[in-house]
Amino acid sequence: MKKLKFEDALKKLGDIVDELESGELELEDSIKKFEEGIKLSLLCQQELEKADGKIQRLIKTLDGEIEVLDINI
Amino acid sequence: MKDFITVSELNEYINSLLSEDLFLRSFWLKGEISGFRLYQQSGHLYFNLKDKDSSVNCVMFKSRARKVNFQLEDGMEVLLRASVSVFARQGRYQVYVEEMQPYGLGGLYLQLEKLKRELDAKGYFNAEKKQAIPEMPSCVGIVTSQDGAALRDILKVIRQRNRGIRILLVHSTVQGEGAARELAEGIRLLNEHAEAELIIIGRGGGSLEDLMAFNSEEVVKAIYESNIPLISAVGHEVDFSLSDLAADLRAATPTQAAQMAVPDIASLKEEIIKSRQGLERAISRKIQYNSELLDRIMMRKVWKESRAMLAQREDILQELIRSLLRAIKDKQKGKEQGLSLLASSLDALSPLKTMQRGYALVRKDSYLLKDGDAVEIGDELQLSLWNAELEVEVKTKERVKR
Repeated sequence: MKKLKFEDALKKLGDIVDELESGELELEDSIKKFEEGIKLSLLCQQELEKADGKIQRLIKTLDGEIEVLDINI
Repeated sequence: MKDFITVSELNEYINSLLSEDLFLRSFWLKGEISGFRLYQQSGHLYFNLKDKDSSVNCVMFKSRARKVNFQLEDGMEVLLRASVSVFARQGRYQVYVEEMQPYGLGGLYLQLEKLKRELDAKGYFNAEKKQAIPEMPSCVGIVTSQDGAALRDILKVIRQRNRGIRILLVHSTVQGEGAARELAEGIRLLNEHAEAELIIIGRGGGSLEDLMAFNSEEVVKAIYESNIPLISAVGHEVDFSLSDLAADLRAATPTQAAQMAVPDIASLKEEIIKSRQGLERAISRKIQYNSELLDRIMMRKVWKESRAMLAQREDILQELIRSLLRAIKDKQKGKEQGLSLLASSLDALSPLKTMQRGYALVRKDSYLLKDGDAVEIGDELQLSLWNAELEVEVKTKERVKR
């Protein structure tokens, strides 16, 4: 699966749930959609859990370079 | 002669009293401007400052007046830092103004409204220039004071909602001299660095004067030019700051800005789990429905009957096979008996018995003769009796009717 942005993946997941819940799909399509939905939900969950959580300070030095410093607040 | 002093000495004496007073050397004074006049030649400003009951003469020298960055007019409420001394020539005391700001809502609002109209005309507040706030940023830039309550509030809320968010902080003073420039530079720095997906600029509440940096053209322009979506979070009681108007999204407080910027990971997880449950419910419903459908079809008569019919046919088939086998067995058993039976029935059909009773077979050219018309006088015929073969010649012929 192509790398989706989290919000796109989440939206697509919602659409699939709606589609499946409507019950209008054939069984075979339903199963395909189900598999796709499960994949998306796992993708979203992974995305949520990939944590970095650093706090960094951005400074412009006198010679115009950008410096990034980890800080503890 | 009584002791006396001159007028000059009086004024000088009073002036010395005034100048000995530490308070009068520098204090803040509030009042409404009236009788404002600007002397073109000198560049000095003269006006009276009054309140409901009193009035005092004020002068602001050109060197100080140059720093006044708003339009003075009668009726305006101002706050000024001043000292007092005697203007000896007229024998009255006078307020010497060092610096001046519009006071409170009246003055600042006038200034703000004017700037707002100007910036609006430049298109800085256009709705179509607003960018969408990303729903799930992984990196958030913050421009505020590193020592302020605003930063603490923002960090607290962001961490509560999602510890995984990366924060890029650009420190900036948020009030006083240089604040506007630093805020604007902070926004530009985050844009140059280009890793933050969202910027929050802000500070906690304060007086309108404290918030003036967020009402500066410099900051508004930087917000407008930012390629990264930006939330303005200036805690205040007044209706708006110009930063709010220029920002893509406005938050009432830094805390609210953080809530807007970062979705609550716990509720997102819940949403994902709910979606998955929805998927599972829907698919099992689908499967259940289909299997019920299958059951209903299988329950229909045609299946049962055809099975019964099939069984019946099979019985018949089995019966046939059995009788066939029996017949074959019987046939083998009574082979000789059957053979003599066959011989006797063959015997019954044979003409020999009939011939023994006195009949003869007549042939002409080995064809059995049945019709007298086929015979001419002089023909040679073969006559078969039961125990002899004769050759005869026809002597006469007469038709008879029997």
